[in-house]
Parts: sequence; structure tokens; C-alpha cells
Amino acid sequence: MAKFKLVSAPPLAGYKENFGSITLHAPKDLAVVNLAVPLGADAKALKAVKTGYGVDLPEPGKSLDTKKGAARLVRLAPDQAFAIFTHATPDAEEAVGKHVKNALYLTDQTDVWTGLEISGAGALAALERVCPIDLHPDAFVVGDAARTVMEHLGVLIIRTGDYSYLLLSASSSAGSFLHMLETSIKNVI
Amino acid sequence: MSGAHRVKGGLIDRGTKLNFKFNDTRMEGFAGDTLASALLANGQLLVGRSFKYHRPRGILTAGSEEPNALVELRTGAAQEPNTRATVTELFDGLQAKSQNHRGSLNFDMMAVTDFASPFLTAGFYYKTFMWPKAFWEKLYEPIIRKAAGLGSLSMKEDPDSYDKGFLHCDLLVIGAGPSGLMAALTAARSGARVILADEDFLPGGRLNSEVHEVGGDAGSVWATNTVAELASMDNVRVLTRTTVYGAYDHGIYGALERCTDHLKTSEGKPRQILWRVYSKRAVLAAGSTERPIAFGNNDRPGIMLASAVRTYVNRFGVAPGEQMAVFTNNDDGWQTAVDLRAAGVEVIAVIDSRDVDAPMQVPGARHLRGQGIVNTIGRKGVKAVETTGGVTLPVDALAVSGGWNPNVHLTCHQRGRPEWREDINAFVPGGVLPVGMAVAGAANGSMTLAAALAEGQTVAEAQISELGFKPAAADVPEASDEPSKGAAYWHVKESRGRAWLDQQNDVTVKDVKQSFAEGFRSVEHLKRYTTLGMATDQGKTANIPALAIMSELTGKPIQETGTTIFRPPYTPVPIGALGGRSRGKDFRPYRLTPSHKWAEENGASFVNVGNWLRAEWYTQPGEKGWRDSVDREALATRTSVGICDVTTLGKIDIKGKDAGAFLDKVYSNTFSTLKVGRVRYGLMLREDGICYDDGTTARLDDDHYVMTTTTANAVLVYRRLEFARQCLWPGLDVHLISTTDGWAQFAVAGPNSRKLLQKVVDKDFDITNDAFPFMACGKVTVFGGTPARLFRISFSGELAFEIAVPARFGNSMIEGLMKAGEDFDAVPYGTEALGVMRIEKGHCTANELTGQTTAHNIGLGRMVSQKKECIGNVLSQRDELIREDDVKLVGLRPVDRSKSLIAGSHFITKGDAATMANDQGWMTSVAWSPNLGHSVGLGFVKSGDSRKGEVIRAVSPVHGTEMDVEIVSAHFIDPEGERLRG
Repeated sequence: MAKFKLVSAPPLAGYKENFGSITLHAPKDLAVVNLAVPLGADAKALKAVKTGYGVDLPEPGKSLDTKKGAARLVRLAPDQAFAIFTHATPDAEEAVGKHVKNALYLTDQTDVWTGLEISGAGALAALERVCPIDLHPDAFVVGDAARTVMEHLGVLIIRTGDYSYLLLSASSSAGSFLHMLETSIKNVI
Repeated sequence: MSGAHRVKGGLIDRGTKLNFKFNDTRMEGFAGDTLASALLANGQLLVGRSFKYHRPRGILTAGSEEPNALVELRTGAAQEPNTRATVTELFDGLQAKSQNHRGSLNFDMMAVTDFASPFLTAGFYYKTFMWPKAFWEKLYEPIIRKAAGLGSLSMKEDPDSYDKGFLHCDLLVIGAGPSGLMAALTAARSGARVILADEDFLPGGRLNSEVHEVGGDAGSVWATNTVAELASMDNVRVLTRTTVYGAYDHGIYGALERCTDHLKTSEGKPRQILWRVYSKRAVLAAGSTERPIAFGNNDRPGIMLASAVRTYVNRFGVAPGEQMAVFTNNDDGWQTAVDLRAAGVEVIAVIDSRDVDAPMQVPGARHLRGQGIVNTIGRKGVKAVETTGGVTLPVDALAVSGGWNPNVHLTCHQRGRPEWREDINAFVPGGVLPVGMAVAGAANGSMTLAAALAEGQTVAEAQISELGFKPAAADVPEASDEPSKGAAYWHVKESRGRAWLDQQNDVTVKDVKQSFAEGFRSVEHLKRYTTLGMATDQGKTANIPALAIMSELTGKPIQETGTTIFRPPYTPVPIGALGGRSRGKDFRPYRLTPSHKWAEENGASFVNVGNWLRAEWYTQPGEKGWRDSVDREALATRTSVGICDVTTLGKIDIKGKDAGAFLDKVYSNTFSTLKVGRVRYGLMLREDGICYDDGTTARLDDDHYVMTTTTANAVLVYRRLEFARQCLWPGLDVHLISTTDGWAQFAVAGPNSRKLLQKVVDKDFDITNDAFPFMACGKVTVFGGTPARLFRISFSGELAFEIAVPARFGNSMIEGLMKAGEDFDAVPYGTEALGVMRIEKGHCTANELTGQTTAHNIGLGRMVSQKKECIGNVLSQRDELIREDDVKLVGLRPVDRSKSLIAGSHFITKGDAATMANDQGWMTSVAWSPNLGHSVGLGFVKSGDSRKGEVIRAVSPVHGTEMDVEIVSAHFIDPEGERLRG
């Protein structure tokens, strides 16, 4: 069996479609690692993030692009954040570990999630059909992040730009996730 | 036919002709017409037949309150019954059919029921079709349903698509009439985020139907300009063709937008969108609805509400008749006569129930003071009316005004109870309104134009001020307070012939009197006894006059007689819109296992397990049925090796220095003592001591455990753990994250499982029995470096492992496992073979952990530690839960081995009668054991652990079966556990 190699096949790998003013695509090699802040060791953990990534961990509900680590840090809760970055091999946890040393508990979430980025002037109109939270540009500013439910699917939505949003949902229901967004887009273009 | 009844003016586009068909007649209308206005323009007064008596009926109103003019719109699968012609926007190619007649609309054979009407009053069916009882369902009801009723269904799948959506605003303004437009303008200019919704395709409300001026312009022009200003503002969203149909909790409103109903086809786009509107504040500016006066034969085609007549004349440029009269109890009715005259229609009389001077001059019209109409003449259209003063007036149409009802509906959706206002003879919003709602304009009882505009502004200012906005200074445009006095005059007592109240349900004044006479006097009883106020119009024109008549009968004032309150929806919402896009395969999300593609390619049949699709078996060539596949898979696994995708089991990574202490609290047994590299079976209890879930938890590091849950409870257990972590023991350093989808996990079971995995797991890792014994676990790599987790656990009872790789490699992993297993004739197995083997081994699943069973019942009572604090351990020791004679989990096999056990059978001691009093327990799980060659089962038997060897009866009254079964150990296979430790 020495010659047999496992082949990586994430559910939406390579997906990209343009629908008029809206583009939907699955970012390649999107890695996600969960960072948990140890109880009572917040200061040490936050310092480790600052040292490793060159930025402060954002407030809950906010995200930012780091400089040093080329990752997006998304604060989900007072003691929880995601590091989202591009990384092809199945060792994303170790990659984040190099940045934050052992100051936080890390868990690889790469294969738990599947990501789709929706962008373009019509993206907001498409999301309006499925997203219950207020995405008005003034209410959900660039960098904001929220966990919500769309069409019965748990979704983490992050506003990554003026007209772009990164959505993460469970990888096992990737087919329904894609269908949800494609349907929304087709319904508004 | 052509538009012979057109008059000058209106807001229609006479340059855009639209062809349509009503029944078999081709007609022509204009852009901006409704189907109703176009029918009237073509002289089509007769539009349908009534619900019960098949009376000829025409168009009563010009809005969503229409009870009569219901049609079947479109053809084929797109046919929609009970569509109100009055709100159906005309489009080129529209096809409509009248409904509820046998034969043609003109010659309805069912009209004979009208002649039998003396026998068919309210309560007739209740009293008549009581005997014989058995005839009701098979004979009476089908015949009655066929004779009565509204439109028909196409019985084909709806070809249109629907969608849903979510909107957010500071202020939702419901209704784009004068007060709504003023409210929206006030809020929008102040910077608030505003949504303005109106059910009409042309915003403006009554401004489009009247000749009043606003700010020196025609009202409709002011409306157009105001809407244009609003539409140009970034903070405003104008939704036309959108009905806000319900007020729900926390300022949430339901709204139905009709996107393509005005087009010939939807062109693949959603026909309608059901919006959920989240508002911080709302202004209800829904206007008011005119009500009729009941008099003899007041239902003939051509008899219309006076405000509707104005709408048809002023907005649509259509005169319903050439020689008309107006019957009114208020000043506003006179305006209709004035407008008709201005349009060139001959008005021969205004009949005013009040003995008062004319509030307006109508040249050429007689003023019949203090009179009413007692009867009308005509069949398919009114030809003349007779007054209480003995005057017969030849008319071809009649306008009737009985005053106005504020549209309070949405104020009632959270049980707000309207209050009676004597000065306007109507109910106005009362009681507690939905949170954040305020009411303005006619909906609030402010019945004149100037008052409506002013109130729109003041109410909006108050609403947005509460949100912190500073209202922009602006003047209310000038408008007049038109005459609006009226009288409480509900029906003509001297009427000859039936006086109709609810034209949709054929309810008359006589029916209300009968309801009263028979004791059904509360408004709720009145409604149910007579069917008043039911169906598509929900009694918008009928409820209050009927209530007033009941008030007369009881001798109590209206406010003491009561009122119905309303519930959503305000107007009908199609089921398709409620379903939205959730249809067929996409009715709910589906989850695929990582090896789904491989399973599809290898003959798997799939079963829904929650949202998951799992392989239940893999059919091989030559197999004739599922049992062939399942037997083969179970036998091959026990004799060599089988592979099963078990990814669906919940996985929770638990980290933190207190992770072990936390697990001790959520599991009934102890995990803090578990050594790194070991796995333990864990049982979770509810607070009341009943079993909650079970699974294995592995310790991968000092501060890292991986818990598995059952597939069904994965989310529930995670949620429960989060609650425990955050709320019960916030002082513990413990962190949870679901990894269910992250790892593709495969059970590799059977005597050759280790040999197979030794070809897969990289050589650096020793998985021999000594190095990796039963209940060992660890991080390994496979196929040359891919990270994996390996657990030596067994659900089948065989020597077995579970191996997990990152899910992206899942499909490739099963290919690799199968390739590695070629030397051992490895088989994939599905959930059925998995079930067979777990029953053979005596392992529990949800069939046994039912939410009613305890650790004591399943023989694991000793696992519930009393030496620590954990969820459920105290209450698990209640006397009733630890009775020795309680049911215990046992194995069962048929005495006659050729028989198949039946799950759900109840056990009866031999010699006892098969009654509940003698119930000894029940069969939870059964399977055909290909290894033993007979049926095996698990079940709960009273004191079962001490009754092994006893033969009892398994009785299933549902199946009509009974057989003798022997109580045996639940472990049919390898009771000593030698295989799994081998």
C-alpha cells in the first residue's frame, strides 16, 4: 500500500460561478482553526495573538485581517475566535500554533466547514433572501461577523469588503449550502 | 366587447391596450386597470355565482375586501381559484373564468338552490344531515361540498417558484395612502430607515380614487411626487404590491410581495416573496373600508359600494352604469353622486337615510330624505330600486355607502381589542397594540384627508423620536376636511326579500335573527353558526353590520355586544408562499457522509438518518433483496472484515485543564482518571436520572478529550454541554468545539481488521494487541503521512477499530481501505448490518435509550457513580427508578427458531391473559441473525435479569401475532468479549 496516496476532495473544491453582477466562489485551501482562550489566562493568550499576528484579537462579532500571519481573525465569543487563512495541507492547527505558541487551545476546523464567498453589487440583495440578520452597510460594517441560521443551516457570515461576504457552513451539508446561495442569486439577478 | 363604459380621466394608460379573456369572451382593457375595472369597462356586471345559493353576483368593491368577484385566474397548472378580480392587475393575455356554477355563468343549473332558500337558512346542515350518522362522511358531505364552495384546484403541481426574505428598518409604514405617505416622508427626511409597504400596485390609497387636492395638486399627483421622493432616498424602500398580513412578536411583521402576478409569466423568477420585516417601530396606516347597508336583494350585480364607484370613475375611468342612484347614510356617499355627475353619468337620485339637508349639490338628482331601499329588481343586473317612500327608480347601477370601518386588523394580532367610537359609528384600535406599533389616519378613526395627513406626520415624529431621531421640520401640505357626518343606520327594516350581509358566505339579516333566536348570540357563536365573516374576505364588509343587527336584537349597545378580533393573515397568503423555496429534495438540508460518492458508485442504498443520508446496504450483483445484502455484509464482517462509514456520530473536541473534571460532571461515570491514549464508554443522564445519551470518549492528551455522541443527539449533547460549561460550571477551564464534520470516520471490524489497518497505518505506529489493546486510542498517520485518529472500539463485538482522517480525504480513504482489504475480501457494510451486529452483541441504541429508561433498566446501574457530583446521579436513585422488579434489558429468541420476532411485541407470562395488567415488558429491537441462523431480539422484561431461561409469550395485538420466546443473555455473540479483545 506504499504507493497509495489519499486524495483531498473538499466538497465545493474549485467552484466558481459568475451570475451577472454577483460572483460566488469557494476559496481554495481555506483553513479554519479554532482558538480558545484559557480561563484565567486571557492576558497571556491575547498577548500571544498580538505577538504572533501583530494585531489585537478583535472584539466579539468583529474580524480583521492580520499582517504577520496573513489570516483573518474572527472573534466569535469572549473566549473563542477563528483563524481563517489559506493553507493546503492538513496541519493548519500546527500552523496557527507557530503563531500563538501554546497560549490558546487550538482545534483544526478546516474540514468541519465549507466556505463560499459571495461578492458584487447584487450580493446584498441575494443574501436578503436567506439571512435573517441586518446586513445594511451601516449595520453590518466591513469586518463584522455573525453566526446565524440560513435555510436551516448554521452559517458564520463575515463582511470581508464593501460588496463581499465570506460565508462558512457545515461541510456535510455543502450541497444544500451551495443550493441556498445559488437559488438566492438566481432569484435576484 | 369594447370599453363602452369608459369615461374620461383616470390613472390608466390608454396608450397601452391589453387583451384578456373572461370565460369565452375576448375583452380589452388598459395598462393600469384591474381585472374588475376592465370587466366593468366592458359592461360585464355579472362576474360569478354565490357560495350557497348560486345567486348572480357582480363586483361590490374595488379592493382586497371584495367578497363576490372571485375568479379562477390563468389556466393549466398555474390556475389559481378565488382570485379577487378587484386586486388583480390586468396584463396582456390574462385568462379568467367565473366560478361556482354548473353550466354557464348565465345559466347556472345550481341556481335552483336559490328557490329552495327558505329551507336552507343558517343551521340547516347541522340540523338536517344528522341521521343516519354513517351517511355524513360518505354521502352528505361530498354532495354538499360539490354543490357549494368556491373555485376549483388544477390538481397539478404549482409551476411557480416562491421565495422568502428578511428586511430590517427603523420604521415600517403599512399603507401608502395619505397618512402612510406623510408618515414615511416625515421619518425618511429625518434619516430613519423606512420601509413603506402597500398592497396596491399604485401607491396613494384613496388619493388615487378621490378628487381632493393636496398642497394645491390633485391628490394622486401629490402621491406620485411623494413616492418618487421616497424612492430616490437611500434610506427608504418602497414595496408596492406588498401586503403586510400579520403583526408578530417583537416588531416583526409578515409581508407578501406579489412580484410577477401582474405578468403573463414569471420567467423563472419567484412569483411571490414572503418577507419577514424586523421593525423597531411601525405606523399602521391601513386606511378604512366602506361598509354596505343591508336591504332587500342588495346583492344584485351593479350594486356597489359608493367608494368603489368613485374608484372606478376617478382612477380607472369607468362608469359602472349609465343611470345610477346613490343610497347613503352619511355625507361621504354624496361625493359619489358628485363625482359621477362630473364624469357625465346620470344620477337620478340620492337616497339618504337621514332626514337632513343635502351636504353637496348634485344637479339633476332627486334627494330622497329619510328613506331607504326596500327591494331591487333585476336578476343578472339591477334594473330598478324601490324605496321606503314608495318610489321606484330605474337604474342600471347603484352606489351604497353605510359608513367606514377603520382597518384595525393588525392592531388585533396580539389580542388588542378595538373600541367603539360613537361619533364615527365604528371600531377604532384599542387595548394593547403590538409592541412598537402606532396607528395613523383613517385606520385610527381620523376620517378626513387633512386629519389623516396631519396624523401621519405627528405619529411618525413620535415614533422616530423614541428611536433618537430628530424629526425634520416640515409642513403638512394643505388639504380639506371633507364632510364626513354619518348615522348609525345598518339595514332597512322594511326590506322585502333577503337582505344580504355577508355576500361571500350568503349570510342574510334573517340568518342573524335566527342565530339570535336559537341562542347563538355572542359574536363568536354568530360567526360559527352562520359562517359569517369566513373565507377569503374574512367579513371585511360584513362583520360590523351583522354585529350591529345582533346589537339591535339583544338590546345592548354595540360595544357591549362585542366584536370579533382578527388574526393573521389580513388577506389570503398562498401555501406556496408559506413554503417558499423549500420543495422536493430541498425541503430540508441534506448531509452527506465523506464517502457518499464512493457509496453511490458501489451500489449503496441510502436511508435518511436525521438530515444525513447513510448507506443502509450495498447491493451486489445477484442479490434479490435487502436481506441478501445485509446477511452477506454481517457474515463477511464477522468472518473476515467489514468497513462502515460512521462519520455521522457526533464528535466534540473538549479541551482545557479542567476537561476531565467537566466530563465527570456530565457523564455518570468517571473520566478524569482515564489515561491518555485510552477510551471509555460513557453514559449521560438527564437531571431526572433517565438516560440521555451514550458514546465513547477518548483522551488524546492531558487536556484534550474527544467525545462521541449518537448521531441523533449530536447537536443536543453539544448544546447541553455548552449550557453546562457556561451556566452550571463557569469556573472550569473547558472549551468545546464540534468536529463531527471534520473527520471522516470508518469502523473497521472483524477478525482481519488489524491486518487490514496495518497496511494503512504508517509503520511508525504499532497497533498490535499489546501496543494498542482494546479501548486504546491515539494520533497516527496513514498512507504515508496523512494525520489520523485511531480508536480501538467495537460496536459490532468483533475485533474492531475506528479510524478517522480529515474529511477532505474521506472518499479517498474508503478507496484505500477497500484496496487494503482486497486480500481479506473486505466488504463495506451499511446501517442495517451494523444494526444486526449490535443486536447480536446486545448493544443499546435509541430503541433502548428511549428517554424513559434508566441505567438500572439497561443493566448499567453500577456505572452511575454516587461518589461525585454529576448530572442525574441523585435523582437516578429514586426508589421507583431502582426497583429490583423493574424491567431489565435481556435477549430474546423464538422457541420455534423458524419464527421472526416482532419489535413492539409485549411480553406476557405464560398462562396469563394478554392484558395491560399482565404486561411484563416489550421487545425493543429485532433482527435476523445470519450468524445464528434465527431471529434475535432485545427487550425489557420485568426482573428480566433473573428470569433467563424462562419462556414467555410475545404478543403483538397490532400485528395479531403471538409466539413463545425464551429469555436469554443480551449478548448472543461472544458473551465473554474475547473477540473484541483479541
